[in-house]
Amino acid sequence: MSWLRMLMSRWAAMFRGGALDREMDEELRAHLAMAAEDYRRRGMNEEEAQQAATRDFGGVTQVRETVRLGRGVPFFENLRRDVGYALRQMRTSPGFAAVTVLTLALGIGAAAAMFTVVDHVLLQPVPYRDAGQLVQIREMNASGQEAWPLPWLDIAQWRQQTRSFQEIGFASGMNGRSFLEGHGTAVEVGGEEVSANFFPMLGVEPMLGRGFLQETPSVGPNRNSGTIVLSYAVWKQALGGDRNILGKTVRINDQPWTVVGVMPPGFRYPANTYGVAQVWTPVELGKSDEARGNDANNYFVLGRLRPGVSVQAAQAEMAVLQKGIGQEWPDADLRSVHSRVELEGYAETLVDKDVRKALLALLAAAGVLWLIASLNVTNLLLARGTARQREMAMRRALGASRWRIVRQMMVEGLVLSAVSGALGIGLAAASVKMLGHEISQSLPLPVPARPDAWILLALVGLTAASALVSTAWPAVVSARGPLEPALKQGGLQTGQSREHHRARGALVAAEIAMSLTLLMGCGLLLRTIYSLEHVPLGFRTDHIVVASLEIPAYRYTNRNLTADLYEPMLERVQHLHGVESAGLMTEVPLGHTFRMQIMMRMKGRSVVAMMKAATPGIEQVFDFPMAAGRFFRAEDTPDAPAAVVVNEAFARAYSPDKHNPAAILGTKLMGTERGAKPAAYSQVVGVLQDVHQTGIASPSTPEIEVSLAQTTPDSTFYNVLDEIAMDLAVRTREPASVVIPEIRDVLRQANPELATARITTMDEVVADSYGSQRLAAHLLEIFGGAALLLCVAGLYGLLAYVVNQRTRELGVRIALGAPRASVLWLVMRQAGGMLLAGVALGSGLALASGRLARGFLYGVKPHDGWTLAAAAALLLLSGTVAAYLPAQRAASIDPMKAIREE
Amino acid sequence: MGEGRPDVLQGTLDLMVLKTLESMGPLHGYGIARRIEQISEQALRLNQGTIYPALLRLCQRGWIRAEWGTSENGRRARFYSLTRAGKGQIEEETENWERVAATMARFLVKSE
Repeated sequence: MSWLRMLMSRWAAMFRGGALDREMDEELRAHLAMAAEDYRRRGMNEEEAQQAATRDFGGVTQVRETVRLGRGVPFFENLRRDVGYALRQMRTSPGFAAVTVLTLALGIGAAAAMFTVVDHVLLQPVPYRDAGQLVQIREMNASGQEAWPLPWLDIAQWRQQTRSFQEIGFASGMNGRSFLEGHGTAVEVGGEEVSANFFPMLGVEPMLGRGFLQETPSVGPNRNSGTIVLSYAVWKQALGGDRNILGKTVRINDQPWTVVGVMPPGFRYPANTYGVAQVWTPVELGKSDEARGNDANNYFVLGRLRPGVSVQAAQAEMAVLQKGIGQEWPDADLRSVHSRVELEGYAETLVDKDVRKALLALLAAAGVLWLIASLNVTNLLLARGTARQREMAMRRALGASRWRIVRQMMVEGLVLSAVSGALGIGLAAASVKMLGHEISQSLPLPVPARPDAWILLALVGLTAASALVSTAWPAVVSARGPLEPALKQGGLQTGQSREHHRARGALVAAEIAMSLTLLMGCGLLLRTIYSLEHVPLGFRTDHIVVASLEIPAYRYTNRNLTADLYEPMLERVQHLHGVESAGLMTEVPLGHTFRMQIMMRMKGRSVVAMMKAATPGIEQVFDFPMAAGRFFRAEDTPDAPAAVVVNEAFARAYSPDKHNPAAILGTKLMGTERGAKPAAYSQVVGVLQDVHQTGIASPSTPEIEVSLAQTTPDSTFYNVLDEIAMDLAVRTREPASVVIPEIRDVLRQANPELATARITTMDEVVADSYGSQRLAAHLLEIFGGAALLLCVAGLYGLLAYVVNQRTRELGVRIALGAPRASVLWLVMRQAGGMLLAGVALGSGLALASGRLARGFLYGVKPHDGWTLAAAAALLLLSGTVAAYLPAQRAASIDPMKAIREE
Repeated sequence: MGEGRPDVLQGTLDLMVLKTLESMGPLHGYGIARRIEQISEQALRLNQGTIYPALLRLCQRGWIRAEWGTSENGRRARFYSLTRAGKGQIEEETENWERVAATMARFLVKSE
């Protein structure tokens, strides 16, 4: 173990350098003094004795050095020295340092910012134990569409028969808005009903209390009825963190619940809910769970795989089981709807596939920018390396090894990168904050605030890689060149210059190629946005203010929302100054607030359609064109025959005559009253022209609209259409900033809980619907612009340097009679070479990578020639302008001065 | 002087220092150097300074320890003394040497 001791004493010695030096000096002096004394005793005089002693000793300096070397850890001491030197270098040429640091910071910051977003969306761990083992189980029909409902009976059979899962739990969202009465006000909470085994399956235990009692689920009241588990946020904020909360009652929507548990902070289910405090109640299986049918309750099913079982194996087993289970459905139609199952890892379900692809593509773009920045710095360092050649040569002449020189340059690179990295974090944080609103539109997340381990790791990695990439080449080049020519005064190292030269030119060409790719991507996205903005929507969007209401339905139990809330509200809004028309609709087109899908039988066929409630005013607000028949009118009261309006997509799918929308008029569609007879079924009175309801780029889906006035508490759809969400759309002559506060007042008067509704303009709603493309376009604008700037700067820098180096030569040429234009052309030609090479290479790169963006584009192909030409032209133009200045300088060289100077 | 010297020389110097300290007791650097010169009957004319790197090595390995003290003429000097580990080391090193010497002897006999 003596080597360990050795290491330890070396470590200790590193920090006591000064003191140890002094001690050694004293010791050596004592030695020499004693030796001299001995000699004096033998008869020499003072001077001779000292000389003899020194001679006997040998070289004092060398001994001191040897001891010092043997004492510490040379690696770290050299490192410390190199870092000190690097910092001094930065201080002596601050301009160079600033440019380098800023360039690298740009690259690192962009990549870090993108990575932050990607990390929070894709890499964020799901807060359950062994989340990789959690799998969502869905039923599908033969063509891969999700089947609905997923009933308890199917789940029960899965639980019984499966061998791949150790636990299967199920959950469903609570209907409607839930408001919990806390200290003071009512707080909106998100509620989920979960099976008793759900939390144990997720692997998380309550922080307080025992949670739900474990039991086999069965129809009828269970031991957990009336109990509730709270999230940490609800417990802390709404109930004051009351430690004795267990057993107490809380009221939600005026219903009492007994608290049996509080979950730990940071726990949430579903995993992608943010910003809403959660509560969980037990699933109560009731009459509607006793049979399989369209009336059965729908559940979300999550299972934990047995250890060692893969998702594929489980999928295979479940597919076999489902064949049998599917047969249990009452009729042939339903059997085919529920014939298949699909398993998907829970974590994967949380992020949309398109979003994932887009994020990764953007991350790649940020990476390209980082690469360009690093290469730019390489170029700068190479240029600097030539200037420092003499210094390096002298070091080597004095005994430094090549490795030592390389190491020192790498340390310089690391120091630069470290400073850039620090700056880059700041840039990243600032830009994430700035783009925060846009990000939260496109991604279901709040803007991340604190960095986590992954991000820090990525940052460190980026910084180190930057250092490596930027300095490797210059370092090797510095260390390699021949010694003598560098030491000679005024030596122009021609051989090496040419090599240097070509290297730097190649770097600039590479930068140009990569910039072209970024610019091309940017161009494609901008065109996509343009196309999206100009898609004829089928309705007007100007001068419309939209308020998205979340209805506190529990305040209106035993009352009719339409009569008590909606109609008075509408009345008051219509009387506001400047309002031309107003209407209510479950969800405005392209809104992302609430959507309801209905599956029903019509003339023996299965019908799937979106469903909304609307008031007559909507027609004037949006100017929906009718393809046939009429929209709702004031005459459509609860006493009049029930009327529905469908759209062309519905008519095409379900009408007796697909090509004539009017053919569906008069069809009795469905019963909206409970227990209604077919004679009283709602009639189709009108057909709307297709509009883009869900997305600008998505085609129209079949839709049924019912009259809000006719939706009374007796209607089957009352709960869903009336009690959850409603959009108020107002067409007004006044500017939005004037109208919005007035509308808010009206809402507050109608019900205080509506005062916090989100009010915006229809134009904004439309713009937000392609928010993710907009965000991507913005980002690529930034990346592309930065890349262009870096390229141009790189090109300029290289040419300026070349002109500088060749000043004498060019002066001679001019003196010998070459026309100045030819000198200009000489420089421009060099620039041209790099630009053309870069553009050629870049075109290939851009076309190859274009395929990645395919899903994101609209109205333009990934290999669009015009966009490529435009991007190339932009680059060539900028490059030419950048090259012109040095070329001009070259052409105006005074030959006399040039030859005289060095 | 310094690193890069053949290990044999380093090893022998180390052993000489250890043996010196064993027989003489605690001694300062100059004293050790003089003693080695004496014992080898001037056959070894080392530069006295080479002893210090050796002393450092032996200290780092924990075979000797150093303490400041006063010399015979009242001068402040650093005194080195053997540790217990060092004493054990002497035996091991002596054995090594004897083995090497025996092997060499066999070689030399053979070549005759």
